[in-house]
Amino acid sequence: MNSLFGNLTHFGALLFFAIVVSVTFAFLSKRGFVERTKYTAWAFLAFLLVAIGIGWLLYPFSQ
Amino acid sequence: MKERNSGVDEAMKREAVKGNQLLGIVAALAGWAVPGLGHLLLRRWSKAAIYFFCIGGLACAGLAMRGGVFGPGAEDLFDRLGFFADLGAGIFYFLSHQLQAAGPDVAHATGDYGTRLFAAAGMLNFLTVLEAYDIGRGVEPR
Repeated sequence: MNSLFGNLTHFGALLFFAIVVSVTFAFLSKRGFVERTKYTAWAFLAFLLVAIGIGWLLYPFSQ
Repeated sequence: MKERNSGVDEAMKREAVKGNQLLGIVAALAGWAVPGLGHLLLRRWSKAAIYFFCIGGLACAGLAMRGGVFGPGAEDLFDRLGFFADLGAGIFYFLSHQLQAAGPDVAHATGDYGTRLFAAAGMLNFLTVLEAYDIGRGVEPR
């Protein structure tokens, strides 16, 4: 377990979190393979875009 | 598309277990103890597998990243909320000390991320518990 997750980069952790939560939300809220796949892709991209957007917005404050 | 989804709905209705209040409570408790077990009892095979691997994976990742796990004796409000969130992970919460042999290390960002991943696993499991309760009662979620 440590070898699998222990060396995750922060971006890797973000990707893992986004895909796992997107799949779970899709199974909670949608029915059918096509609907779930679409929702998973949409939620995954939304997680990534929001995280990267917030990263850019906060970048000036890190200097 | 609608035809395909309605086919899935019909298959789920045929497969559905006739619900009652007791079955809902049993499914909810089982789902809390082991993520996905409530759905397994209700014969929702794919949901049970997905919930177990997604929530279990998230919890194990949080522990492997040396995230902190909140105990019941917290005095701070945020720690209490953290305990409530962590408790949702069920068996992963109770086995956290065995699974995380090196202990938490929240002095580094990775450990802090691990704390959030574990709490997220607990909160996600609470959502699946509510769904298992509804299915068990015979109320079909949308």
